[in-house]
Amino acid sequence: MFDFDCREKQVRRRTLLGGALAGVAVAGVSTTMAYAAPGYTGDTLVVLSLRGGFDGLSAIVPIGDADYYKARPSIGVPKSQVIAGDGTFGLHPALAPLLPLWQGGKLAAVHAVGQPNPTRSHFAAMDAMENAAPGTSIRTGWLDRMLGVTGASGPLAGVSIGNAMPHRLYAGATPDVSMASVDAFTLAGESAKRPRAAALRAMYADAPAALAGQALAADRALTATTSLRATAYTPAATYPATELGAALKDVARLIKAKVGLATATVDCGDWDMHEGLGTGVKGQRMYDNLTDLALALAAFTADLGDEGMKSVTLLTVSEFGRRVAENGSHGVDHGHGNAMLVLGGGVRGGKVFTKWPGLSPGALVAGDLAATTDYRSVIGEILQKRCGVGSLAPVFPDVAPSSFGLTLAR
Amino acid sequence: MTTRRTLLAAGAATAVVAAMPASASAAPSASPLLGDDQIAHLLRRASFGPTATSLAEARKLGVDGWLDQQLTPEKISDSACDGLIARLPLAGASIATVRAKLAKHSYDGFKQLGRAAVARAAWSNRQLFESTVAFWANHLHVTAPSSGVWDSRMDYDTQVLRKHAFGRFADMLKASMRHPAMLTFLDNRSSTKANPNENYARELMELHTVGLIYTEADVAAAARLLTGLTVNAGGTYVYDGAKHVTGAVEIIGFKHANATAGGGEAAALAFADHLARHPATAQRIAVKLCQRFVADEAPASLVTKLTKVYLDNDTAIKPVLRALFTSPEFAASIGAKTRTPFEDLIASIRALGLGPEASGVKALDALYNATVNAGNAPFRWAPPNGYPDVAAAWSSPSGFLLKCNNHLNLAAGWYPSQLTRPADLLKSLVPTLPATYGALVDALAVRLVGAKLPAAHTAAVLSVAGKLPTSPLTASDKSLAGHAPYLIALVLDSPSFQLR
Repeated sequence: MFDFDCREKQVRRRTLLGGALAGVAVAGVSTTMAYAAPGYTGDTLVVLSLRGGFDGLSAIVPIGDADYYKARPSIGVPKSQVIAGDGTFGLHPALAPLLPLWQGGKLAAVHAVGQPNPTRSHFAAMDAMENAAPGTSIRTGWLDRMLGVTGASGPLAGVSIGNAMPHRLYAGATPDVSMASVDAFTLAGESAKRPRAAALRAMYADAPAALAGQALAADRALTATTSLRATAYTPAATYPATELGAALKDVARLIKAKVGLATATVDCGDWDMHEGLGTGVKGQRMYDNLTDLALALAAFTADLGDEGMKSVTLLTVSEFGRRVAENGSHGVDHGHGNAMLVLGGGVRGGKVFTKWPGLSPGALVAGDLAATTDYRSVIGEILQKRCGVGSLAPVFPDVAPSSFGLTLAR
Repeated sequence: MTTRRTLLAAGAATAVVAAMPASASAAPSASPLLGDDQIAHLLRRASFGPTATSLAEARKLGVDGWLDQQLTPEKISDSACDGLIARLPLAGASIATVRAKLAKHSYDGFKQLGRAAVARAAWSNRQLFESTVAFWANHLHVTAPSSGVWDSRMDYDTQVLRKHAFGRFADMLKASMRHPAMLTFLDNRSSTKANPNENYARELMELHTVGLIYTEADVAAAARLLTGLTVNAGGTYVYDGAKHVTGAVEIIGFKHANATAGGGEAAALAFADHLARHPATAQRIAVKLCQRFVADEAPASLVTKLTKVYLDNDTAIKPVLRALFTSPEFAASIGAKTRTPFEDLIASIRALGLGPEASGVKALDALYNATVNAGNAPFRWAPPNGYPDVAAAWSSPSGFLLKCNNHLNLAAGWYPSQLTRPADLLKSLVPTLPATYGALVDALAVRLVGAKLPAAHTAAVLSVAGKLPTSPLTASDKSLAGHAPYLIALVLDSPSFQLR
């Protein structure tokens, strides 16, 4: 296993002085939000990356496919345990917190999705998934290209939350901001008497471009979030005390503050379940991970409310799905075909969209669920219907949008 | 079976990073920000940052003399750091000791391990050894904390990484193959004869050795060959022949009859030897060492040279390091690397001359947590591939602010407050006050960065104090003490100090 654990991290985010003096930084800075979505009128697109290889066959269970149960004698989720079962598919019982959203049509799944040039290497697969333009000379991340196409500008158009490191989905020329958290995004010691931000701005104005980008983006984003931090955020829902919960809470905070957030990225890991994936009961690894995921998504949706969710679409991606047959460790090795979740006010949910290839031995590709839908075409459908993107070519070259009717047009 | 290897995807991956705007590889080799001081260059790269003492000593020894000294760490006195590490008795403890001292699944071992890494980077005199240990820890990465290795990760540090860091890679690889931490982290311990677990087999080839040149058939065969390498109830390594899949294998040029259950361990170790000595492994390690110590874009000529040295010396590490640090490519690479958040924090401590706390580990806790916040704490990277080692992977607004906040907290002595500090930090850095504020910042920069800042940057630093470079400075200037932490911090915030 490799832990990329949403639950166990006891991370102290406090930057002692930064936190204490943050309020002082307001001096001399306009407190009005001058950056309300310039150039962009689409949904805020939230991309949740499930790191490690999400097992879509455990989350969205193909209960109508007898071969699923043959391949997974010890970890298959029994038909009797799934929720919202329709005879063909059912949700893992740990997704119960999302059941109202499923039944209310705000949450959908797309099954048997994958990449055009699959690889079972985590790292090559993640890179390819985020680049999303295999076989071309394009080297940027697809979200960078999406931002460029929509013309969304402003210091907080593209934000990654939960990690200080830059997100590779944004790799490229369009500016983006990474924030470990909104409250931790501060400059220590800033005051009218010691105008440190201004000194940094001056110092980096003529610095080599390779070093200046981050400093100047930090400066712009600091200014744009100062008034936001001045008031403690009180969400309209209770988030789980997990990293994912904290990150989605910050995303909701930025959305509600109308800071011009066009896209947000959040990561959630620990899905690489080679061992001990477990059965569909509490205390088992998949059950607990899906519970954490579901609780965080449910809180996010409740926090934004129906009105807020009208302009938000969240989708999940993962580098690959997992082998159909379980291994001797009661886990599943790296595979390919997978499921995506799509959540939003404009989603036509409550069902699984798929061109289901089946799990009979002859239908598998090297032991994997065949991918009948390119994950990019699913995103493409959302980009066109919800995010105001016209031609997909600049974002996903040579990809046609799916025609599932996943979402209403905005 | 479909071949899953997509060289294209892998190629694109590297390029995504390289194409990001903040790549420092664009910086010229004769850096306008850092000058051409080869000794300072060596210490910025081969150590966790120059101190006044280490710089003076290296100048006396010269490049070759310093390398001779550092490549013989057992002859370097390190009693102060040893005393500090003694406060962290579980950091390198055996599996039996950890199990005896801690409750099952306790994270206390991890806590001590992480703090020991911070302490050694900041204050060990065996800087090249510690830098090399850090390189191998990232290469044969086992995440800490991660729950399954609560009892074994500390022993892994001692018995695999530190033991072999200056030895032969083949020996380190084989030690990792027989260590509970690796076998647990990558799930080989639960692999079975009927349905072998592929996790370790894949990463052994992809991450630890040859890279993405394997096929899915290679993964399946290697997973079979590795069955039987497992962990017993006492938490220690055992080879269990009853779990081993016999039968001939051919994997990336390795052929073995693998005829008996009893011979499975020997066959697996022979495979490790084959992988360690494979030219593709030699080249990958050469590239990674170049990325660590020379430039984000490894110079092709140096990769070729180091690949040969590695193979000619049967995977021995020291000759490769010596060849690297004495190469013209290294000499020409001043300013071509950027400090990671961890490196920035440690280099700041070293440049400022801050010492460890007199007793306890509160400051180490604080420093470790600062690296957690930056996403760069020792061993904490979650996936098995180790931290990325190129500037673009770390260049972020959040990371930049965290660095700046660390600089001021350290310079002002606010946090962590327990570190040992000079009575007067400014005076210790600039013993004789010059006549102007501009000259003061020049002197600070020479001491902290190794070179004066460009004039515009000096003026920017002084703006925080409302001063001009020409502003006169006298000992009776009552505002100086208040300005000092801000001036010192801003010098550390400068583009110059970001370069490694």
